[in-house]
Amino acid sequence: MNMTGKVKSSLTRRLMLFSLSSVSALLMLGAGEGYAQGKAPQGPIEITSGTSPGGTPDVLMRRVAKILNEEKIITNPIVVQNRTGGSWMVAANWVLNKKGDENTVLTIAQPILTTPITTGQPTVYDKLTPISMFIQGDLLIAVQPNSPAKTFKEFVDLAKQRERSIKVAGAQAGSTDHMVTGLVEKASGAKLNYVPFDGGGAAATAFLGGNVDMIVLPPSEALPHVKNNKIKLLAILSESRRTEPEFKDVPTAKEQGFDIVWGQSWGLAGPPGMDPELVKFWDNAIQKLAATDAWKATVKEMFLRSQVVNASQAKEHMAQLHDQHLALLRDLGLAK
Amino acid sequence: MIDALVSLGNGFGVALTPTNLLFIFIGVCLGQIIGALPGLGPSAGMALLLPITFGLPAATAIMMLAGIMYGGMYGGTLTSVLVNVPGEAASVMTAVDGHKLAKQGRAGAALSVSAIGSFIAGVGAVMLLVFVTPPLAEFALRFSSPEYFLLAVLGITATASIGAGSPVKAILTAIFGLMIALVGTDPILGSERLTFGMTELLDGIDFLPVAIGIFGIAEVLSSLERSYDSEPIRTRLRDMWLSAKDWTACRFSILRGGILGFVIGLMPGAGPTVAAILAYVTEKRFSPHPEKFGEGALDGVAAAESANNSAAHGALIPMLALGIPGSASTAVLLAALVLQGIRPGPGLMVEQADLVWGLIASMFIGNVILLVLNLPLAPVFGALLRVPYEYLAPGILVISLIGTFATTLSLFSVGLTLFFGMIGYLMMKADLPRAPVVLAVVLAQLMETSLRQSLMLSEGNLWIFVQRPISIILLLLVIGSLAVPMLGLLTRRRMERLRRSEAKISIATK
Repeated sequence: MNMTGKVKSSLTRRLMLFSLSSVSALLMLGAGEGYAQGKAPQGPIEITSGTSPGGTPDVLMRRVAKILNEEKIITNPIVVQNRTGGSWMVAANWVLNKKGDENTVLTIAQPILTTPITTGQPTVYDKLTPISMFIQGDLLIAVQPNSPAKTFKEFVDLAKQRERSIKVAGAQAGSTDHMVTGLVEKASGAKLNYVPFDGGGAAATAFLGGNVDMIVLPPSEALPHVKNNKIKLLAILSESRRTEPEFKDVPTAKEQGFDIVWGQSWGLAGPPGMDPELVKFWDNAIQKLAATDAWKATVKEMFLRSQVVNASQAKEHMAQLHDQHLALLRDLGLAK
Repeated sequence: MIDALVSLGNGFGVALTPTNLLFIFIGVCLGQIIGALPGLGPSAGMALLLPITFGLPAATAIMMLAGIMYGGMYGGTLTSVLVNVPGEAASVMTAVDGHKLAKQGRAGAALSVSAIGSFIAGVGAVMLLVFVTPPLAEFALRFSSPEYFLLAVLGITATASIGAGSPVKAILTAIFGLMIALVGTDPILGSERLTFGMTELLDGIDFLPVAIGIFGIAEVLSSLERSYDSEPIRTRLRDMWLSAKDWTACRFSILRGGILGFVIGLMPGAGPTVAAILAYVTEKRFSPHPEKFGEGALDGVAAAESANNSAAHGALIPMLALGIPGSASTAVLLAALVLQGIRPGPGLMVEQADLVWGLIASMFIGNVILLVLNLPLAPVFGALLRVPYEYLAPGILVISLIGTFATTLSLFSVGLTLFFGMIGYLMMKADLPRAPVVLAVVLAQLMETSLRQSLMLSEGNLWIFVQRPISIILLLLVIGSLAVPMLGLLTRRRMERLRRSEAKISIATK
């Protein structure tokens, strides 16, 4: 029973990978087998992603795959497979069921931590084999350009005048936007009116149409609107300001007297019971990736940060992230 | 105006290189195929092919992907008409009337009118893209939750009038559809509803298993009852082509559908499926023979198919001018831009003029290719129905199930499709209209979330629907769409009563 299941699943995977991998395989012709030391996976590798194509983690992992292949850090064709559904749980379960598999890794994004919390399911992150958390993203608090508030402090004062008078557009309940709104409420004592939309794009649309007062955005998404004067940035939620000319004048919330530090982070994890040799293989690959010029250019272009938390610390790091999210979601009344 | 024409000229310069022409051709052909395959819609197909575009120049990649997007709108018609399985969501109305036409031997005509309608609407939409993108993008932003809610209500109230049967039955089945749409995660609170602890149901029941099951599988099941020596649908070659009479009947439907589709496509959040439904419903009001709707109305098919193609093009406006995805497909296009290292946003049309205008020019070319592909092939595909249904049925079943599997890569949706196939079969037996179920599933989520968002935005005040200029117009349309049939009913009753009392009087005087 177990055997047939295994054979079947590997067969379907092969079939599915076939069409895509054949293309990548063509590109890979002539790349040769570059790996002498340590154990390496054989055949095509799948990076499982829980968003539909175009979501930030998806775009990031496609870039990762591209650079890993192009710089010949990993010579196996890498396919980013979108397994959407159940707020990342379909993707997570897919990898959880591949105990010891050598050709599948899972994209780690915030829902991997938060969906089990908000739905009352058993935790997922601690059953996977952590590989690396290596991409971090900042978040900005933005308001309408004609808002009377010029600083974050003034904005909070405005919000305190009447409860729930400030409307915030964001993604679904329990999303990063929602958690940041919760943090703002907690740090300032103001009560905001959070309106969830079907994803960040829809929230941005509602904001640009002037239907809401505040929005939470990553720098890359804020930039075009800043240039067009459609948005006013009040604070960045990181420990320090960004250094790019476009964002260096945006003060941190901390500078303005509000202890709000929050961001996004992404990484990779293997299925349960992944061979330590393979973890080493991936760990090396990610460290090499982070050192390439192509990756540095990507990080710069997308206004991200890339501090590699390697395999030896990834487990602890993820546990820490999990506890932070759990505490915040409890405060928001979203934890089950 | 002149600027736009010069830019368009440059765009044609970009699009008309041999490589780009080749990739436009590949894109539209793939779109045609992907659209025709049930389950795999244009956005999923584009996503699947996204990695291939890595090696291509940005403009070429975008032209090819966009080709898949609007090619899908042409292709979706095919399976809807021939086998009553919507190839993609936007062809759902075509599955209703198009297939009835096919049963009457008029598949070729339905396919031709769809191709011509899609072409006219597509080219018209691209013309608008050329001249008025920036102001239209601003207009698109004025649509928000209250307007979306009223649009969805407009669609739902109209379901009662779809099909020839009793409106009460239609409303009942529409409510069944709304109940299906309740399964999943509450869109506002994020809590689970009616999922019975099943992870597969967390994201709700997708439209595709419902549509493919209730339309396609049910059709196959009921065909099993017919005797084996059933006559194949008889088609005369003359009926395969669009006659001059058909054309006169449909040309204004194409115009109305095209314009309506474009406007709805503009709105980020509505998309081609809603466009097709509303165009069909509107057409019924304008049609000289509304009783034919649901029984094979060529003008209904023309309006719906024109609308979905112009909506697919219209969705590009907020994307190009503002960097906002107007539909699932444009979201993938945006992703492709990001993957190419291009940041979409309000500056795109200036900073990447070659790419944007090349894309616009490529859509003129792509639409011409699709028309040339589809027109001569329409009678050929139509002739497919000469094959007795019992030979077609297993193929339809397999393609439908593979299609649903492809959307989620899980067997759960296959089971779900079969389940809805059974329901669809029972509905056919009980003579219940099936289209309202599917329409309600499509519209319910938009309706629910936008109502709740509106009320959150207004802090619970219902006046939000009256205070906004566009929403008040929509509200009047909703009231009108409810009041007109009611008034019609009342006057009819009154006339009857009058006639009866007159008859009584005449008896009394005798």
